[in-house]
Parts: sequence; structure tokens; C-alpha cells
Amino acid sequence: MSQTITIDPVTRLEGHGKITIYLDGNGEVENAQFHVTQVRGFERFAQGRPFYEMPSLMARICGICPVSHLIASAKACEAIMSVRIPHTGAQLRRMLNLAQMVQSHALSFFYLSSPDLLLGMESNPATRNIFGVAAASPELGRAGVGLRRFGQHIIELLGDKRIHPGWVVPGGVTEPLSAAKRDAILAMIPEAYANVTLALNWYKKVADTFKAEIDVFANFPSLYMGLINEDESIEFTDGTLRMIDAQGKTIEDGITASRYTDVIGEAVENYSYTKFAYYKPLGYPQGSYRVGPLARLNIVKSMGTPLAEKELALFKQLAAGPVESSFHYHHARLIEALYGIEKIEQILSDPLILDKHVRANAGVNRLEGAGQAEAPRGTLNHHYKVDENGKITWANLVIATGQNNNAMNRGVLQAAKHYVKDRKFSEGAMNRIEAVVRTFDPCLSCSTHAFGQMPLVLTLLSAEGEVVDQLVR
Amino acid sequence: MNLTRARCLILACGNTLRSDDGVGPWLAAWAQERFRDEPGVLVVSRHQWTPELAQDVSSSESVLFIDCSAESAPGAVQLLAVSPTGETQALATHHLDAAQLLALGRTLYGSLPANALQLTIGAGSTELGEEFSAPVRAALPIACLKLEEAVALLLRNKERSL
Repeated sequence: MSQTITIDPVTRLEGHGKITIYLDGNGEVENAQFHVTQVRGFERFAQGRPFYEMPSLMARICGICPVSHLIASAKACEAIMSVRIPHTGAQLRRMLNLAQMVQSHALSFFYLSSPDLLLGMESNPATRNIFGVAAASPELGRAGVGLRRFGQHIIELLGDKRIHPGWVVPGGVTEPLSAAKRDAILAMIPEAYANVTLALNWYKKVADTFKAEIDVFANFPSLYMGLINEDESIEFTDGTLRMIDAQGKTIEDGITASRYTDVIGEAVENYSYTKFAYYKPLGYPQGSYRVGPLARLNIVKSMGTPLAEKELALFKQLAAGPVESSFHYHHARLIEALYGIEKIEQILSDPLILDKHVRANAGVNRLEGAGQAEAPRGTLNHHYKVDENGKITWANLVIATGQNNNAMNRGVLQAAKHYVKDRKFSEGAMNRIEAVVRTFDPCLSCSTHAFGQMPLVLTLLSAEGEVVDQLVR
Repeated sequence: MNLTRARCLILACGNTLRSDDGVGPWLAAWAQERFRDEPGVLVVSRHQWTPELAQDVSSSESVLFIDCSAESAPGAVQLLAVSPTGETQALATHHLDAAQLLALGRTLYGSLPANALQLTIGAGSTELGEEFSAPVRAALPIACLKLEEAVALLLRNKERSL
């Protein structure tokens, strides 16, 4: 008799999702699915809008990573305009994107995942939150809050708003950077270094105590993809895409936004509103791959900044080839946060950073354009078609969470097979299965959703629909 | 880092696209204008109160929280003292209440404002829309008066009462 276990909603994620675990007649886990249960429709309602509105409209997709949508969207518009943006505009955008990456990584690591790491996977769920972290380690809590403020404040300084800044536009940015704002950002750098260093040192100590989780948290060979510079260093805003195979061999390189669809396909499954991206030459689902911090660190040869470079060298020692366990997303996330701070400091020392020429202007010169950028949780591609008046006739977005979708599902199945025993699951098992998804830091929805007030009910049903077991949080 | 150290921090929250939920930001804008020549008063309006604000709250001499209330009668204006005794078991990533912010600030930074008050206005509607319901519209003058009184009280009273 087959049975199912449902985890609904999955907690401490950005958005609403649920997990269903299917048991076979012997009570063994047969399959598992991670469902994203909300539908958005941005690609549809963008149709008919002027292309130059797209960055502002698309930023509303997300309250955590709106900057990445702004940038990918603006770049798609610039492809339609056929313009190259001024150097200073590009540098300022890069800084904005890095600031967002730092604050988003701080949210993911400190607010969502550090409760498990600090208090334990089996700890009281009522304390597995930022209050629990603050009570157990005020120093770590302050570091998390401080790092998030750092990123948010830079976004606010540059874009006048912490969420959905309108500063990034097709052609560049609307305002140059003032000396006062540059100095204000520079003044925050030392504290940000101290906070991320504290977190990295702490994480490296505790990671060894999670060997069991490392073994089964989406720990399998896969492809990896991310943006990279010509010198093979990490990149979040420009550059081109590289894909490596499970052995670390480069199988695609120099993928520009306009070539994206040559390489990446999208499949749909009837149990989720999130699409499943795959590498076309291998087909679906064999061509599933991972994006985000783990993938980015797996594809690059260097970070391009001194402190992060040292941390990358240590990270690469975790495996002979690509680092496979998604548990290591946490480690990669902190290294990227360190890189972000260093790179922001570097950008601010650019002699042209206060230059007033920050925007290029043009009309419609092409009827199709695509743009790509790295969101904190992975690669993001915006692809638009317009009519001769610049009205959007078609849009497609490939977001990071969709690109990680297959790996997340495989990871949930791997963990479920390990932790669900004898048709039963413990609180700790449930948390670990959720924690697999958290390692990817998926962004299932946007700023308008508040997940924290929803109850969590786990139900074990018989094939006849009879409730066999139930846990309520 | 962008740390707010105000004699009186006015901290409002609400969504201006959800009818009466926007009364917090509306009152914050009103306070910004009313107290623009008062250097000790700092007004911050947010969509939601997030954990990062705990640092600003804990380092201010006094705080006036402003929000709409789903529990009060539509248009009812209340000014109450608030203490760091909030429920801290929620997931608390994107939204905290006033008591939780005080509690988190105390835990993380070891300090509290000397006084904290909360001004609430009972919501009649939080449906999509940019206009207030009739009860909330009618209550705005009273809310402004209460807000003025609260700020005067907080600026006058420096003794720790929390």
C-alpha cells in the first residue's frame, strides 16, 4: 500500500512551497517532490508595456533580489537599444548588485539557516529563528544583522530605496555617485569585514559537526553554471556563462545572454508552478544542473580579491573536483559575501567612480533582446521581444530557482530516503528535509508574501487517504 | 553604520497599497513635516519592521511605534506603552512587532530606549486600494493630535520606564 507524507508549507524559505514524500508498499521512500504552489504571471502581464518600463516592473518580482531583476531586465532592454552603457554606470550597477548579494546572503545564512547550524537540527523549532540565534550567540546575531544592514544601506544610498530602487534604467543608472555617498559606504567597510570574518571562522568550525548532513544534503554529481570573467574570476553582473560537468570539465563557455536559449531548455511538471531548466544537449531531466554560490565557486578559478581568494583555495580543498554537497552552499555563500565587500571597496577606488556620465540613451534598434546577471541564488536571464514601437510582445524569464529545481527535488528525495524510517518521520527529520531546500536559498515568491504566520502541518496519508500520522508546528 | 541615535525615533509601518494599512506611512509623512525643525526627532517609515531595525530601536532614547490595528474598532486611536515582552517564537524574518523589536534589540545590543509607546489606529479595511476607509479618515486629526502629545511626552520624559 503506497502512502504519502506532506510537508506544507516548507518553512524558512522565501515564498510558499510544500514537499510530498511518496512511500512504496513496504513503507520505503519511493519518490519526493518539492512543489512551488504559487503562480505569478509576470511574463504575461508585461505584454503590451513599453520596454523601458520593464526593469521597474520586473523588479517587483522579488523583495529580496529585486536588483538582479533590475539589472538583467535593463541589460535585455539595452540589447533592444543596441547600446553599451558607460563604464561608471556599469561599475555602479556592479556595486549595487554586490550589495544586494551581501544582504541576501546574510538573510539566508544568519536568519534562515544559522538557527539549524547554531542550535542544532533537532533543537526546539520554536527557537529556530533569529531570536534563538540572538539568545544563544548575540555576537553571531549582531554580525548577521550588521551584514544585512550593510548591503541594504548601500542599496538605499545608491537607489534611494532599500527595496525596489528605481535607479537602474535601460542605458545605465539615473544618478551618478556623490563623494559623500562614496565616503559613507567606505566608512561601513571595516565593520562589514569584521562581521563576515566572524561568521566564516565560526562556520568553518561547526561545519565538521554536520558530516551526516553533508553526506545526504543534495550530495550528488551534477552540472554547474554561472557567470565568469575572461580571466576566469567570479562575476555577478557582466561576463559570460560557463557550464562545467560533474568532473569539473568545461562543457560550455562564453554563453552570452542572446545564446542562452541555444543551451538552456525549460521543462514543466504538473506538480509545481516553477519551471525546470536543463542543459539542452543532455535533455530533461539528465541535463539538470545547479546554479548559485556552490556552482559559481565550482566554475571559477579565482575570486579576484585577496581575502576571498584565500577562502576559495580552502573551499576547493573540500573535493578533488567540483564540491558536490549542497550543504556547502552555506560556506560558498559566506565566501561570496566576503568577496562582495572586497569588490565594493575596489570599485569605490576606481578613479572614474564619481564620473557624471552614467547613462546612454537610444530607442528601439532591435526587436529582441536578452540580459543575464547573477542573483544571489543563481543565474537570471530576461528575454524580451518588442514591436517597432517598443511595446513588449513576448517575455521569458529563467530564474535561479527554476535552474536549481531539479537538483532541489533530487536533494529532497535523497534526504527523505535517509531520514524517513518505518513510515514515520521525526521533527528532526522533517527539519533536515526542509534544510536541504534551504541550502539552495530558493526564492519562491516575492515581497508581498509573509510566510512566517502560516502553520506547518505534516500529514502521513494511506493510499486510501487515511491519516496515518500527523505533526503540527 | 547608518545607526539611528534619536532622542525620539518615530517608527511607522504599513503598506500604502492596502487601504488603512497605509495609515502608518501617512502619519510618518505628517510627522516628518510637523517635526522637521526638531533635530531630536527622527522619522522612519517601513513596509514592514524587520530585525535590522532592532539596532536603531535599542540605541534611541525613546521610540514611538505607529501601525494600524486589526484588533481595534475601525478608526479607534490608541496610545499604549509597549514593553519587550513580545512573542519571539515566530519565524520573524520579514516582520516583527514593536515588542519583538524591543526584545531583539535588548538581546543583541543590551540596551533599550528609556520609553516606548505605540500609536495604533483601528483598520476598517485592508483591501487593495490607496484610500482610507471613512472611520480611519475621520480619525486622522485625533491620531495627529495623539502623535504630537506622544512625541512631547517622550522628549520630556527621559527616565527609563521599560
